[in-house]
Amino acid sequence: MTQHRRPAGLKLAVLALPTIAALTLVGCGASSDATGGQTQEFSLTFATSNTVESPYEALAKQYMETFPDIKITLNPQPNDSYDQVVRTQLQAGNASDVLVTSPGSASGRSILPLVDAGFLEPLGESAAALVPEGSEELFGPNGEVYGLAPEITVVGLVANDTAITATNTAFPEDFAGLLAQCGPLSEEGKSLFAVAGSASPNTGLLGMQLAATRVYAQDPAWNEKRSAGEVTFADTEGWQRALEAVVLMKDAGCFQGGAEGAGFDGVTKALVSGSSLAAFIPGPSNKQLKSTAEDQDFEVRVLPSEGGPSEDFIYASANYAYSINAASRNKEAATAFLEWLAEPEQTKAFAEIDGALPVTGLEGYDFENSAYKNVAELILENRYAPLPNSEWANASVYDELGSGVQGLLTGQQTPEQVLKAMDAAWDQ
Amino acid sequence: MFRYTKLTLLREIGLWTLALVFLAPFYFLITTALKSNTEMYTTSPLALPQSADFSAFVAVLTATGNSNVLGGLLNSVIITGGSIVLLIAMGSLTGYVIARSTRRWSKAAYYLFLIAIILPGQLGAVPLYMGARSIGLTGSAWGMIILYTGMLLPVSIFLYANFFRGLGTAYEEAATIDGATRFQVFARIVFPMMAPATGTVTIFAGLIVWNDFFTSLIFLGGSDNQTLPVAMYYYIGSLVSEWNSIFAIVIVSMIPILALFLFAQKRFIQGFAGGLKG
Amino acid sequence: MTATSQSTNHAVNRPVHEQTRTAQASGSVHRVQRMRGPDRASKRKWGLEFGHWWWALPGIALVFAVHYMATGIGGFFAFTNWSGIGSFEVVGWKNFEAIFNDPTKIRSLGNTLFFAFGSVLLGNIMGLLLALALNRVVKTRYALRTLFFMPVVLSPLATAYIWKFIFDYEGPINVLLNAIGAGHLAKPWLADPQWAVWTVLVVLTWSSTGFAMVIFMAGLTSVPVEVEEAAAIDGANLLQRFHHVTLPALRPAVAIAMTLGIVQGLRVFDPIMALTGGGPAGATETLATEVYKQAFALGNFGGGAALALVLAVIILFFAVIQQRLTRSNPED
Repeated sequence: MTQHRRPAGLKLAVLALPTIAALTLVGCGASSDATGGQTQEFSLTFATSNTVESPYEALAKQYMETFPDIKITLNPQPNDSYDQVVRTQLQAGNASDVLVTSPGSASGRSILPLVDAGFLEPLGESAAALVPEGSEELFGPNGEVYGLAPEITVVGLVANDTAITATNTAFPEDFAGLLAQCGPLSEEGKSLFAVAGSASPNTGLLGMQLAATRVYAQDPAWNEKRSAGEVTFADTEGWQRALEAVVLMKDAGCFQGGAEGAGFDGVTKALVSGSSLAAFIPGPSNKQLKSTAEDQDFEVRVLPSEGGPSEDFIYASANYAYSINAASRNKEAATAFLEWLAEPEQTKAFAEIDGALPVTGLEGYDFENSAYKNVAELILENRYAPLPNSEWANASVYDELGSGVQGLLTGQQTPEQVLKAMDAAWDQ
Repeated sequence: MFRYTKLTLLREIGLWTLALVFLAPFYFLITTALKSNTEMYTTSPLALPQSADFSAFVAVLTATGNSNVLGGLLNSVIITGGSIVLLIAMGSLTGYVIARSTRRWSKAAYYLFLIAIILPGQLGAVPLYMGARSIGLTGSAWGMIILYTGMLLPVSIFLYANFFRGLGTAYEEAATIDGATRFQVFARIVFPMMAPATGTVTIFAGLIVWNDFFTSLIFLGGSDNQTLPVAMYYYIGSLVSEWNSIFAIVIVSMIPILALFLFAQKRFIQGFAGGLKG
Repeated sequence: MTATSQSTNHAVNRPVHEQTRTAQASGSVHRVQRMRGPDRASKRKWGLEFGHWWWALPGIALVFAVHYMATGIGGFFAFTNWSGIGSFEVVGWKNFEAIFNDPTKIRSLGNTLFFAFGSVLLGNIMGLLLALALNRVVKTRYALRTLFFMPVVLSPLATAYIWKFIFDYEGPINVLLNAIGAGHLAKPWLADPQWAVWTVLVVLTWSSTGFAMVIFMAGLTSVPVEVEEAAAIDGANLLQRFHHVTLPALRPAVAIAMTLGIVQGLRVFDPIMALTGGGPAGATETLATEVYKQAFALGNFGGGAALALVLAVIILFFAVIQQRLTRSNPED
């Protein structure tokens, strides 16, 4: 306000009123208008879109049917801006009682930073029992659990098996075979993979999947070492090979034409039309794709490793979780809801609606009649790890990987530059 | 003078050709909206729909819940209309005083508003939300009207002040001498002459408020008063997006704002010069 | 004299009015005297002959609360390491140091200026030409104006998506290039390191032209048709008429269109986010897209806030220069 120095009397008069108004505006933002008391009523915020059936909504409705005296206020939010809405509402103190969060620290809705900020309520044993093995640290610090995992998301390839059958060649078994298949396919005007080069979540997933066997299968504790500063991306041979593999695949013609500029719509289109055989997208997408093209079969597969099937390694973890808002006034009702969600029937229903694997009872799961039959062995033999970026220091590291892989596709960057940028983002 | 000649005809034809090229992108908007869900993913965006399929329009117009398009349309109309009225009233009064004053404070105030246009509004989003919530402005249409008015007021004042500066004071002098009060001078003499500015503010602010997604998403979050752009965003999926439905909503939402433009151009921009010439 | 022609000679109005006023005032002495008391005070103190200073008060109060208070609080976090939630520490100028030590910010700044000035220049030239071409005589001018305005009405999301179609690798541009045997020129336009900035510029210009046209149309209403006709009768050609009659009258409209265009252009981010997300690999990144990413997507609110303030200072710099340039009227 320094530019107002001249007419003093007037200035004071003009400034006083709005300042008072503004101060009352900003002051005391703590009062909450949530429905008071321990009533049998609570609210639930989740991300959704009209294009798929929401398991969050379906189960909430089922809960209300089962317990007619309980009312859940549903606050669905568009996918795109979910993180920002939830953070703003948490900060302002009027977020819903139950929120959908994400284990780890990779995104705006991640549990660890939200716990740090004091926004989440620790959960009880039923939630702890559902934490997938190896993911404990992603659900909260000091052994506490702040999220209830409703499903296991397998992140590998989703392949159009109808289209694979039509090519009369089997899906490649190892990385060399994969590269060999790319050339002939691209001569037919097809491609082995569809990549959304302009969408950094997709290029990032491509980079991470190449790192599964090259880094994480061999060194499961790589992320911890990176946190401790013992290793860096740029110095790790596995990471170098992973990103060099992107360039190898590009040069072999593994990606669809114009892949560097494609978006998710391009990937969907290529898979559904059969012009591309597989894409680097989370397993539950098989259900969305199926609903777009019902006459085709979409299966979850693993990206072939350099050493063949015996060395294959995949990512599987809980990507989403239910959490309770620490500022909630309806914790009792919310906790009861989460207890109910943790029951096997509900986790089973949730996974079925979403097209994912259930968080419990995998030993008895009917893999053969699901989209996951090709990865059953990996899951049952425990040859999987959580998505590595959920343990990375901040969201920028993954963003650098995503935009860096696009740079590899366009030839703007070299693997070394990308890895150095990721290190810089980690250390910022 | 300035009659319709052969050259004008040529100009007219040329302009229509240009318009066709300029509007070519709308071809995709319309054809996509007329395709069915499966056709959207199996045919080229260039291809015409096999048959005009209005199912996307029917689907969005009858949707309930997340994407209650008709309800969103009504809320958008109320919020946009209310914001425009307030922006015109406050913007013209403030802009007038600032443009007419010969003292330094008005210059300072002018820069206060110019800087407010420039300030990075994103930074204020969270404090603004907390403030608005504590005085009960969130979740209701009238709260949104006040917020949007506050957000766009600097531009409105800027536009009015600039237009007022280009207007001589002769009419005000004359009216004052005839005994009109200052407010009468403003309301009866000066404001009607500001029609081009009013038209510009109407269109500028109307467009921003009408298409704004994020402010209404945050500030109306958790209420049933969502606006049209928010209803539209529920059709964007993480992998599969229903672009036919989205574009059907886009087309529906273009109609009121184009009507507003036609009204503004006839009533404010064109009517002004024509009316006075007659 | 018409109201419209009034505005062209407003610069000389004031002294004339002072004279006529004193001359005419004697006609109704009583009434004028009764009004003089408060008038004089108001004029001396507030410099106002018309209107009251407090008319501006609600506007100032609202703008102060919504813009200055809110942004001031948000701006404070530029000096902290706040992630967007939870606690924070004050870190002084560290965020700003990080910005000035980051070489990629230079490219973002370059893109920011390129997009802003490129789209303002092209959009305003096209808007002016359209407004002039559609000003009079043309019979279908209402229909044509509406058509040329349609891109402005389109929501940013739809605009971006349609243009993605057009620039897609399998989109109409490449189909056309292949059809005329220029297939080697086909490329993924939005992901081509050289071409991406130009494609983004095309889209920004396309969606801003219609609005510039409207502002110029509003400005053209103040061009007195009689003066233009007189000039035409005197034998002035089209260019002379434009230079001596139309352009001076358009000066306020040009000032408005340029100021708004540059201010909006420097901070435009959602079309760019939707078109390229700043890619390929940062080639279309601007300061505004980085502010958004840092402050909201990547949980570095402090860094994003610092960058937003730097961007605001840059915008202020150009806005002030721009105000000076368009205000420096030779007749003043």
